Amino acid sequence: MRDNRMIEIANLAKTYRRGDGSPVEALQDVSFTIDAGEFVTVRGASGSGKSTLLNILGCLDTPTSGIYRLVGEDVSDYSDVQRSQLRCRRIGFIFQGFNLLPRTTALENIEVPALYSGQRIDENKAAALLERVGLGERGRHFVTELSGGEQQRVAIARALMNDPPLLLADEPTGNLDSASGRSIMQLLSELCAEGRTIILVTHDEETAAFAQRELLIRDGVIASDSKSKPGRSAAPSATEQGR
Amino acid sequence: MNLLQTFRLALRTLFRNPLRSFFMMLGVTIGIASLTAMASIGEATRQETLRQFKRMVGTYDVINIVPGAASTRGMPSLTTVEPVLKFSDAAAIADEADGVLQVAEVQNAFDIDVKYRDNITVSAIYGISENWLEMRSYFIETGDIITQDDVASVARVAVIGQDIVTGLFPNEDPIGKQLRIGNVPFEVKGILVSRGAGPGGSSLDGIVFIPVTTASRRLFNRDYLTTITAQLEDPDRPGPAIESIKTILRERHGIVPPVEDDFTISDSRANIEQIAEVSSTLGTVLTGVALIAMIIGGTVIMSLMLIAVSERRREIGVRRAVGATRSDVMLQFLIEAAVVSVIGGLIGIAFGVGGAMLAAIQQDLTPVLIWDTIGLAVLVSVSIGLVFGLQPAWKAANIDPIDALSS
Repeated sequence: MRDNRMIEIANLAKTYRRGDGSPVEALQDVSFTIDAGEFVTVRGASGSGKSTLLNILGCLDTPTSGIYRLVGEDVSDYSDVQRSQLRCRRIGFIFQGFNLLPRTTALENIEVPALYSGQRIDENKAAALLERVGLGERGRHFVTELSGGEQQRVAIARALMNDPPLLLADEPTGNLDSASGRSIMQLLSELCAEGRTIILVTHDEETAAFAQRELLIRDGVIASDSKSKPGRSAAPSATEQGR
Repeated sequence: MNLLQTFRLALRTLFRNPLRSFFMMLGVTIGIASLTAMASIGEATRQETLRQFKRMVGTYDVINIVPGAASTRGMPSLTTVEPVLKFSDAAAIADEADGVLQVAEVQNAFDIDVKYRDNITVSAIYGISENWLEMRSYFIETGDIITQDDVASVARVAVIGQDIVTGLFPNEDPIGKQLRIGNVPFEVKGILVSRGAGPGGSSLDGIVFIPVTTASRRLFNRDYLTTITAQLEDPDRPGPAIESIKTILRERHGIVPPVEDDFTISDSRANIEQIAEVSSTLGTVLTGVALIAMIIGGTVIMSLMLIAVSERRREIGVRRAVGATRSDVMLQFLIEAAVVSVIGGLIGIAFGVGGAMLAAIQQDLTPVLIWDTIGLAVLVSVSIGLVFGLQPAWKAANIDPIDALSS
């Protein structure tokens, strides 16, 4: 089973200090594991600690105490440079606001992660990824010429550029209309079915319904962990779309 | 991220933000343009000054030995110098001094009346040995120069400058005519090519050359020289020859240091370069002005980069999220600053060199391309970008990706 572990979190805590020096315990004694190929949603009210958790999972932040293992590697105490390298190879980020670079074409955006991978930029791969997200003919367009749904597709292609096993999506459908949102979720489900692990932060019930598992965070602790909803994994998208 | 990719990225960013790039370049462009323009105009002026002085003093490879301690004021002449330099001194230098090719003798006086029929003019009279005209680059327009025979036979012959031609022979050919210097008649045997005006603006053509022997025995009745001119084997290293001449003259004149020498050796080449140096001091001042312009240019780059860093927080956050390290981000912004500065510099060089060429042509100077300065300009613009880009790049590198992405 251990080979199949994507994420292992044990007794993780994160404490911030306010301006006056008083501590804020954003996460307390959080423990869970996520296997490779799982599609997990993280839910919680604002201030619950879910952003902190996502930042730590994404190696943008480090825990105050506890263990974070990513693909078997203890990354809890990694330096800034080491975490940069991890983000580059292991993690793809998908944001609510797309965060594409302005004055830059779709293809150029997709190639950005390759700049930092230490390898030659493979333009064919970028083009293939653009094709994969259904925008094959729009590579030379500037991102401002694309619709919201199209921009998010470009962002997903970018997240896939370095072939990371883990995708972290923070409200990926939050800025989209429901039809575009559903098609983005459909795309993520397909990527999950291809073997990628997806962790998704959302408020939206309909979006959450695509996942096999839901982590609910409240006041910095895991309030519930439902490995539930059998039969509502990748498959139900067809019925959802049919509505 | 490798350097080539970083450069391409920098160029792309600059081309896609043309207005910002334009303003970033402006200061550097102006600074570099003035630097190169000033330097090459300065150099053209310096070379022209050198050419003028060279034309005035004749060839480059001679030194003059004049009587009198320290540097006497003005040009030596029979009425002003001590009677210490003898013909035999000149002969001794020619025979014994190291590194001396040949020696010429001069005995001259100023403001002497020269007459032809009813015409009268005032001229400098130079009694010279036959080799002097060539050593000092005087050329004959018509007729003949003063020859060894003329000197040996104490001939009463004269070679005259253009001012004497116009003053005494306005309507006739002077060659073969008898003019009088004081009361001594001389036959005109040659006319010099005009040398134009000297550095003080006075004419260099009011001059009559006669054999030095004739001057000494038939005209002035003096047995001492006003100048001994020595041509050097190695004009680039005049030191040994000068020392050798000093030793010979001290011995002949019985001078033992610390007693002062009764002669002075002037190295005309050193004088010329000193004079030319003055104009290049001016160039240094102008270069300083250009440097100030470039510091202002650098400050503009820095402030616009700082603004750009704030505007591009989100971009920086994204790059950090997808794997850029702090140094990747730092390098990206540094290279951007350097590239914009270099492009600005190259445009500046084009303007500066072009401007200098135009100015040189307009002022009848020979345009000079100074590669030193162009190289320096490129180096300076790279440095401006790197130095003034440092703080913005540092700021960019230390933006927290979490803050940048959530803002």
